[in-house]
Amino acid sequence: MNRVGRRSALRIFLTRPEVGSLVGALVVIVFFSVMAPTIRNPDSMSTVLYQSSTLGMMAVGVALLMIGGEFDLSAGVAVITSALTASMIAYQLNVNVWVGVGIALALSLGIGAFNGWMLVRTGLPSFLVTLGTFLMLQGINLAITRLVTGNVATNDISNMAGFSSAKALFSSTLDVGGVGMSVSILWWLALVMAGTWILLRTSAGNWILAVGGNAASARAAGVPVKATKIGLFMGVGLCAWIAGMHQLFEYDTVQSGGGVGLELEYIVAAVVGGCLLTGGYGSIIGAAIGALIFGVVSQGVVYAGWNPDWFKFFLGAMLLLATLVNMAVRSQVDRK
Amino acid sequence: MKCAIVRAPGRLVALVLGTVLLLSACSSTGGARSAETAGRSFPRLRIAMITHQAPGDTFWDIVRHGAEAAAANDNVDLIYSNDQYVSGQAVLIQNAIDQRVDGIAVTLPVPDALGGEVRAAERAGIPVVAFNAGFDAWKRLGIPMYIGQDETLAGRAAGERLSREGARHVLCVIQAQGQVQLDARCKGLQEGLTSGRSERLYVNGADMPSVRATITAKLQEDPSIDYVLALGAPIAMTAIVAVKAAHSKAKIVTFDTNGQVVRAIEDGSIEWAIDQQPYLQGYEVIDALWLLITNGNVLGAGRTILTGPSFVDARNVRAVAKYAARGTR
Amino acid sequence: MIGKPVIELRNISKWYGNVRALDDVSITVRDGEVTCFLGDNGAGKSTLIKITSGLHPHDSGSLRIDGKDVHLSSPRQALDLGIATVYQDLALVALMPVWRNFFLGSELLRGVRPLRRLDVQRMRRVAHEELGKIGIDLPNIDAAVGKLSGGEMQVVAIARAIYFGARVLILDEPTAALGIKQSGIVLKYIAAAREKGLAVIFISHNPHHAYLVGDHFVVLHLGRSALDVDRSQITLEQLIGHMAGGAEIEALAHELGHVTG
Repeated sequence: MNRVGRRSALRIFLTRPEVGSLVGALVVIVFFSVMAPTIRNPDSMSTVLYQSSTLGMMAVGVALLMIGGEFDLSAGVAVITSALTASMIAYQLNVNVWVGVGIALALSLGIGAFNGWMLVRTGLPSFLVTLGTFLMLQGINLAITRLVTGNVATNDISNMAGFSSAKALFSSTLDVGGVGMSVSILWWLALVMAGTWILLRTSAGNWILAVGGNAASARAAGVPVKATKIGLFMGVGLCAWIAGMHQLFEYDTVQSGGGVGLELEYIVAAVVGGCLLTGGYGSIIGAAIGALIFGVVSQGVVYAGWNPDWFKFFLGAMLLLATLVNMAVRSQVDRK
Repeated sequence: MKCAIVRAPGRLVALVLGTVLLLSACSSTGGARSAETAGRSFPRLRIAMITHQAPGDTFWDIVRHGAEAAAANDNVDLIYSNDQYVSGQAVLIQNAIDQRVDGIAVTLPVPDALGGEVRAAERAGIPVVAFNAGFDAWKRLGIPMYIGQDETLAGRAAGERLSREGARHVLCVIQAQGQVQLDARCKGLQEGLTSGRSERLYVNGADMPSVRATITAKLQEDPSIDYVLALGAPIAMTAIVAVKAAHSKAKIVTFDTNGQVVRAIEDGSIEWAIDQQPYLQGYEVIDALWLLITNGNVLGAGRTILTGPSFVDARNVRAVAKYAARGTR
Repeated sequence: MIGKPVIELRNISKWYGNVRALDDVSITVRDGEVTCFLGDNGAGKSTLIKITSGLHPHDSGSLRIDGKDVHLSSPRQALDLGIATVYQDLALVALMPVWRNFFLGSELLRGVRPLRRLDVQRMRRVAHEELGKIGIDLPNIDAAVGKLSGGEMQVVAIARAIYFGARVLILDEPTAALGIKQSGIVLKYIAAAREKGLAVIFISHNPHHAYLVGDHFVVLHLGRSALDVDRSQITLEQLIGHMAGGAEIEALAHELGHVTG
């Protein structure tokens, strides 16, 4: 009397949240392989992966948070805040760069904890709470940098103690079969694996799914809802630190006005990857595929030699298409 | 009233604080300080500088440093404000008029849109001096002086030099869409470039990794590009990384200098930088306004007072290096 | 032990702002018995279970569990004391698969400290077995729980509560949205839980369902306890009459008879 579980393997595969984004990724990769043959070179693939990795790192944290039912609009500028902190602390206090790196980590986690705490304290939608944090961080980034350095960018720290070892960790370039691959791609993959593990294989992941799906039910079942949400925001903070450190050690100086607008790209990557805007469902691997789609499209437009004025339009259209494909696949499969 | 609840020491503190605040408020206005200039004392002037700086644009940092230096020397209270959108800039000019400043230094990215505000300032008796943008319009708006040069001029100068160097295909990298000064530079480049063609590449200046990836991709896609022209120092530095990643032989030239760019010119990663001497622009416009207000002097005899363009390249970089390191070149 | 008091509410009151939801209510719930809380909407039934399940604290009076005074501050605390509540919205997350819901908040883990992970295989197997025991044979234990029928969802929630060693089962209007056959499944399950020695608190505004399984009946009216009797002391007709609207229904019948007559 065992009617359980012997559905066809194909059916099982098709119900996974990543499927739509996978289809979308294949579509754009094939499309640009035809329209922009240059993209097929290993060097070009390295460029595409680099673009995807810097976006994808943040998309992991943002996707986990979205599955947990919340948004973080401050994620874009938080990356810059982290980088600015490490740079200015090291330069102004004249200490080893690693001290700045460590303080930046503490600050990034602190900002995440603040976002989470404000959310549980006020009960306001996370959209509003993090909009406030976004504006504050944007102002702080500009104002403190000007206060400390007198400029809109930090000083060059490339000749300070600890810089080369930190650079090796956060932004070196590895030789993979003659092609240069940025180590950010490895960080991205590591975050994706960690995020997937947490979501699918730990009790914390079960809590995240429950809290995003129905926070009241989760609470009634004994899940620590507040702690889970704060933890998720701190996860975004951790990703912001990694992304910020990469940016600092790759480009030596940090532009204080950076990061604005990127928070929406992270959300788009997560949604394209199958995360429901309302929470409770999604996939970290899907978000990684979403970031890949973004990289392919944004660089593909350049490789195809299209008029750059059309770039934003094409990007939006591609992303809309990928999302529609995602939803179509899901509804097909959900029909019994 | 809750006065009764405040205990005596609290009230004393409040009184002391209040007195301190009152005294400090008194001392900041009303011409208390005076400058020692040629044995005569001059009143402290309030001058508003209103530019079209977009957030994070390093060029304007240097303009501001120059303006602050002049303000310190001339005993001027400098009020700096900026808005990248011309409608916002117009409002800022109106604010300055409402605050009854002694003089206004303004950029004219879209001269006709700001013409109304400029005339309103003149009617209110506030002298206006223009700088940096509005090269061909300042005179007809009735402005007595214009300092600096146009971005279009600078672009043309870049194009002409590149032509002398035999450039075939120049990539003009624009880091923010919709900004007049950046567009003007690329347009000028196109006008001045006679030895080949130029092409624009839009990148997202708010996302440095994306800037690098996009430039790399473009160089990989089109190996005929032999020059990359950046429109700002940070973009030039990223272009160095991108060119290396693309294994390209393209040379890098840029607008505007900073400490890093100067070092890059010294070691050859950047060929040259076109220097509009933003520090000089900022300094001169404040100083010229001061002379106009205190002594009715007009500099320039009705013609543009040029501050550039000048080129910083391997030949003269050493002279500039120490100024660039401290953020004023 | 049958008949031993497990939850004792003594003079419990609760305010929500200015509204008094419960006024000096005293009730005893015993092991091995089904205690029915009845009453019209707004009578205070929901408030009573929110207090016993740890969602909201009581404002005055005492709550005793196994003879000890407690002040519950979280659902986790109540769960740890063996009080399992099945709410009207079931505390199930519709998007999650059945097995994840079954073990929500009490996940089975395996492995050593740094890499403690979910024992997915065991959880799927146990969930499938437990549901099989109550006659639910799901073709796919990974299906989202939102795809089950109303009755099936109720029973999943009850099965979960019993599996995790609940001693007290609080059911909030479990048959309210169900048809006859589905209600039958739930009522049979309530009886089975009683046989196992659990104390069951069954909230309803359907006296017929309550009388089918109840051993003790408490009727609430506007936050107060209006009736508190054993099964042996009351008939179904009397019970119906006592519930809010007994007298009002008669008057209404008179009126309507007048109009149509």
